[in-house]
Amino acid sequence: MSELSAQKIEEVAQALRQAGETREPCAPFQADLPGFTVQDAYAVQELNTAHGLASGRRLAGRKIGLTSRSVQQQMGVHQPDFGMLFADMAFCDGEPVPASRLMQPRIEGEIAFVLGKALDREQLTLPDVISAIDYALPSIEIVDSRIADWKIGIFDTIADNASSGLYVLGTRPVRLSALDLTLCGMVVESRGEPLSTGAGIACLGNPLHAALWLARKMVEVGRPLAAGDTILSGALGPMVPATAGEVYEVRINGLGSVRAAIEA
Amino acid sequence: MTRDYHAIAAIVDDAARFANAIPQLSLNGNDLDLQEAYRVQAASIARRYQRGEVPTGIKMGFTSRAKQVQMGLSDMIWGRLTDAMRVEDGGEIRLQDYVHPRVEPEIAFLLKKPLTGKVTVLEAMAAVEAIAPAIEIIDSRYEGFKFNLPDVVADNTSSSSYVVGAWHSPTIDFSNLGMSLEVNGIPVQIGSSAAILNHPARALAAASRLIGEEGMSMEAGWILMAGGATAAHALKAGDDVRLQVEQMGLVGFSVASA
Repeated sequence: MSELSAQKIEEVAQALRQAGETREPCAPFQADLPGFTVQDAYAVQELNTAHGLASGRRLAGRKIGLTSRSVQQQMGVHQPDFGMLFADMAFCDGEPVPASRLMQPRIEGEIAFVLGKALDREQLTLPDVISAIDYALPSIEIVDSRIADWKIGIFDTIADNASSGLYVLGTRPVRLSALDLTLCGMVVESRGEPLSTGAGIACLGNPLHAALWLARKMVEVGRPLAAGDTILSGALGPMVPATAGEVYEVRINGLGSVRAAIEA
Repeated sequence: MTRDYHAIAAIVDDAARFANAIPQLSLNGNDLDLQEAYRVQAASIARRYQRGEVPTGIKMGFTSRAKQVQMGLSDMIWGRLTDAMRVEDGGEIRLQDYVHPRVEPEIAFLLKKPLTGKVTVLEAMAAVEAIAPAIEIIDSRYEGFKFNLPDVVADNTSSSSYVVGAWHSPTIDFSNLGMSLEVNGIPVQIGSSAAILNHPARALAAASRLIGEEGMSMEAGWILMAGGATAAHALKAGDDVRLQVEQMGLVGFSVASA
């Protein structure tokens, strides 16, 4: 049930949009909106999704956030969240990422799944998701926040498209059967230093669990996943603040590596 | 200043032997430098040898750069392992034998040749027979698990017990193996072997260099514990502890119920 007026939801959506366009972060909303619900937050996100689509942006996939138990506890929630990936957010391996497209970026190492089939039926199961995934790619999600100093609550991050920024995909597709998605090691490194490490199990026990949650959620909210969609399944280790001028490499065992080069 | 290293060694050795917490040496009139701390460690382990224990290997500490920075260190530290510290895979420990034990997920190396001095990673690996998933039970004997660098070195680098799983060929790529440390079925620490100097074999080469500086050698048949891949996790009575390592399977033990 929504607790906020349509006008308030529109105001928050507009403030977030403006923060993104001007690159001037806005103050968090959550503290000033007692009684908000997660549905309200998604209503804000949906307004900006519709705005993006109306202005010609193409939906290329979804991201899943809050997939680690420790981050869920921090946020006081018991499930992940999702955000929209637009085609203009995608970068190639090693391609310079303009700092002008970022505000307060952080790096996360993730497994990307690319769908060969739509997941648009009711009551989806894990085999439906496995069968629909064409291949996996190593990926870097450059998360970002339109909220000042990342002082986000659960409402703020969901409303802000799950704190999504840009993303970088590797180039060598790998079939699921060739991967140990539970125990694959992950390292984010820069200049040869491991900055963050983790494994597939950190993402809801297995990144496929996150993908199943997302697929069901997308059917529920009426934006089902389509063939060709990219799913960023969630961070495999703690996020790392990104510095302009640095190159970050994510290596995932069995999947290879991918680099994000943040321009100075 | 001349110190009685044997007397100081008796303090840390008795604390470990009888599982008693002691005040930090540095706060109790024994403000050692690092070299002195290693002398105390050697003297305390000599007491173990006199009681019939035999050396089985070396453990490394502070092999993650983040931990070195956190502690204001520029190098790793090391400690000695003996047969009395070995816990069988699947075995049981008792909390009363420890002060405040914690577990860390690690990778263990088994040596087939002696190894000492400055070596390349390739030379170090040429001395390796096998690698295995391993859990180290660390247990600082200092109150509150608080210490400075010489304190922890004198206390055998908090070394207490170790558990080693099945041995595997060292020819697999073990630079980035996922590791999940689980207590009673729940993952409590998740990481990768890459956290150990970005490749655990670098910890082996570093051990060779540091041991060589002391005029010692690691021997064939010895084990090298490469250092924790994640933060340590505190143990409770009744805990069932296991470590899953990608491509290397499981190692585990349990803590007896109170």
